[in-house]
Amino acid sequence: MMILLLVLPLAAALLMLLWPRIAPLLALFSAAVCSFLALQLLLQVSEQGTRYWLLAGWPSGLAIAWQADTLSCLLILLTAVLQLLVGFYAFATRARDKLSQGFWPLSSLLQLSLTALWLSRDLFNLYVCLELLALVAVALVSLSGRKAIKPALNYLLLSLFGSLCYLLGVVLLYGAYGRLDIAGLVSQWQPNLLTNSALLLMSLGLMLKAALWPLHGWLPAAHAAAPAPVSALLSALVVKGPLFILCLLWLQLASTEQAQAMAPLFAGAGLAALLFGGWSALRTPFAKNLVAYSTVAQLGYATLALGLMLKFDQPLIFAALWLFVLAHALAKAACFLAIGEMSGTLGGKRLTTLKGASQTMPLAMFAFAVAGGSLIGLPPSGGFLAKWALLQGLWLQEQQLFWPLALVLATLLSAAYVFRVVVLAFDRADPVAPDFSPQVLPQWLALLPALAVWAMALFSEPLLLLLRLEAL
Amino acid sequence: MVEFSSSLNLFLATAATLVAIGVYGFIVGPEPLRRIVALNIISAGIFMLMVVLAYRSAGPDAVSTLADPVLHALVLTGLVVAVSATAFALALLARLGKTTADRPEEPGP
Amino acid sequence: MSLLLFDVLLCGLLLALALASVLSRQLSHAVILYIAFGLLMALTWARLAAPDLALAEAAIGAGLTGALCFTALARQGKLAASPTLSWQQRCWPALFVLVTLFGLLLLVLQLPAKPGPLPALVMQQLAASGVSHPVTAVLLNFRSWDTLLELLVLLLALLGTLQVAPAPVYQSSWVLSRSWSQLLAPLIIVLAGYLLWAGAHQPGGAFQAGALLAAGAVVLKLNHQLNWLAWRNIWVRFFAIAGLTVFVAAVLTAWLLSGALAEPVWLRWPPELAKYIILLIEIFATLAIAITLTLLVVAEQPATPLSLARQEDDEAADG
Repeated sequence: MMILLLVLPLAAALLMLLWPRIAPLLALFSAAVCSFLALQLLLQVSEQGTRYWLLAGWPSGLAIAWQADTLSCLLILLTAVLQLLVGFYAFATRARDKLSQGFWPLSSLLQLSLTALWLSRDLFNLYVCLELLALVAVALVSLSGRKAIKPALNYLLLSLFGSLCYLLGVVLLYGAYGRLDIAGLVSQWQPNLLTNSALLLMSLGLMLKAALWPLHGWLPAAHAAAPAPVSALLSALVVKGPLFILCLLWLQLASTEQAQAMAPLFAGAGLAALLFGGWSALRTPFAKNLVAYSTVAQLGYATLALGLMLKFDQPLIFAALWLFVLAHALAKAACFLAIGEMSGTLGGKRLTTLKGASQTMPLAMFAFAVAGGSLIGLPPSGGFLAKWALLQGLWLQEQQLFWPLALVLATLLSAAYVFRVVVLAFDRADPVAPDFSPQVLPQWLALLPALAVWAMALFSEPLLLLLRLEAL
Repeated sequence: MVEFSSSLNLFLATAATLVAIGVYGFIVGPEPLRRIVALNIISAGIFMLMVVLAYRSAGPDAVSTLADPVLHALVLTGLVVAVSATAFALALLARLGKTTADRPEEPGP
Repeated sequence: MSLLLFDVLLCGLLLALALASVLSRQLSHAVILYIAFGLLMALTWARLAAPDLALAEAAIGAGLTGALCFTALARQGKLAASPTLSWQQRCWPALFVLVTLFGLLLLVLQLPAKPGPLPALVMQQLAASGVSHPVTAVLLNFRSWDTLLELLVLLLALLGTLQVAPAPVYQSSWVLSRSWSQLLAPLIIVLAGYLLWAGAHQPGGAFQAGALLAAGAVVLKLNHQLNWLAWRNIWVRFFAIAGLTVFVAAVLTAWLLSGALAEPVWLRWPPELAKYIILLIEIFATLAIAITLTLLVVAEQPATPLSLARQEDDEAADG
């Protein structure tokens, strides 16, 4: 049953290439079935515990290792559900946005490559997954046509450079230990110059791919240039793939000393991302760039949580890390869909076209505001849940005042850029007239993930329990 | 077997230097095409490192006379991945050249 | 001693070509030097007991990448004039790279001289894999999931390329080259078939054969033969995805066949059938690789809705 999660999107994508006419139907069908299967897998794993596979049944070391723990299952579920939602949005707006037919097979392949990445526990297989992910992402960005080519090329080149850094690290590790599976490497791991350098090289490549500060330069242009549904997928899911591998490396492979030494770097980079991303989001004149810079800032939370996790080794902080990722994925999907809907209807990329949007397109604006609330971390949203877990985790460590204060500052910044949009939208004096009457269905679809991120509060107990189980 | 191991070290050093040359080209090279070539040189360096590492097991005291097949398979996979990515990057580049050539208000330097 | 001399010469030439390619003033020189570098790389791999890779590198690394780069150069047209860099723009990166190089050298010379446990494990399990050539066994049995994903990467590059491919440029071909290419074609097909068949027990296999076929097809295609070989042809699309389709079908069949066991294992071939399954996958993978690589090199704007170029040209005409 589990392999259907991989076979179904692949088979759907291949069929779409042969018969492009039925592509949307196939994509939606496979995403729907996969969501259902992923939910079943999550329930099964949370009951029976983590499942391991050695592909093709060869002995450990020779075979590629897979592992489905609760975190992987949660991410698989998130991928499938967001895929379904964005697919519906793309289908609902296909007549207006002239989204190319190429979107459908690519979106199914995106789902496949992410699912493969969440499952894999083999360093070289992860490299192939990363390359697959990068190529899908760039192909999706280039769907926008002429204006997106330059950011897409830039994204591809940097992404390839990142992959090669990662590959060099993998090769060094293989040269030293002669294996590629993470479990096998852990058992022989010794902290020395070689493993230090390999970890650093791999981290460099992954940080470039995940757009973590200071290697985030390519992200705003690429995410802003893509069509709205693609931006939603990229910001919500694609950048999380390398982040996941980064966590695998530092939380499982690295020894305690190595992790301790790296902790301040990650925490500092996260903080800088929060401040810099927030500030840039405040300054940019374009609506989609604002949301893209907000992604840079929000990834800062995850990096900060990773740094603090390495430092304090506190299960609550680990839970906070992935709560941030989940909440951000849902909120950012809502933001990009809402902004895409508004810019599409009001006809303009600049922030000023959103003037009076609360009157002309109340639903989309509401979706943006609700999702923004989670980005800020207003209780009881998913963003709040994550921040609260982080603060609680810090609280358990004595005498930690600096980090909570920094979190407050970052919260203020994110509140500032969200309110920048909201205030403009409530300026009803002279609203920008829409080019055509707004469509209702896409706005509802943008609202759905925004509501889901607030509904995370209802499941806070099981979510925290699931993620804390995962902490190593 | 002094000769053998010094050869091995020579190839290892060459691989590392190739990577460094590629990195230099990637950072400096102003044109995207040169960056793509530089990326290919980096990957050639990394593949060479892998092949040299595979050659270790072909030595006289090793289990077999064959080089490490796992690494060879990985290099083959890596080669195909690299050529795919290069092809896509070049296609994007060609498109970029066309779009900039279409606009008369942006003449070359 | 003479072998060491040869090695020194080889490494020196490799480094010189790479450096010259990166530093050369003109882009076209950079590309030509890179192609020479690729050919020398193939030679290096033959020296390092890697004949599989030497074949693949000669066909893919030097041949196809070179053809791709030249196509890009031709399409780029007048953009080829490269700006000159000030010495500061060159010096700081050079310093940084030198430090990196020093670190890398320190690292690679530290690597242990003994191989890891995997080569021995491969030899031990080789008999159960269905083929006798260890590289093929790793690619299509021990780590077949990597290979499946890799075929997907190839397909994806094609999808992306077709999306952004510019309109075709029609040029007449040279009569002599056309007749030459017609002579070359059957030879290449025979050679590719041999490589594919040899892959089971000696160097060779799907990728090398596919790349060789692609090289032949590219030559023919550039001479305006093989006009049916385009994405709009449904059979071409069918065979371009056939490698993946057959692979997945084989996986599913094998999975269902082993369903009687307590815990069915994903991607496991039944040992008695492994040989045939691998051969089947290789045949279709070869075709798919050949078609995909050919289309990658001579990418033309397809007449399907997949293309953006057409849509944009329409928009430009409207505006």
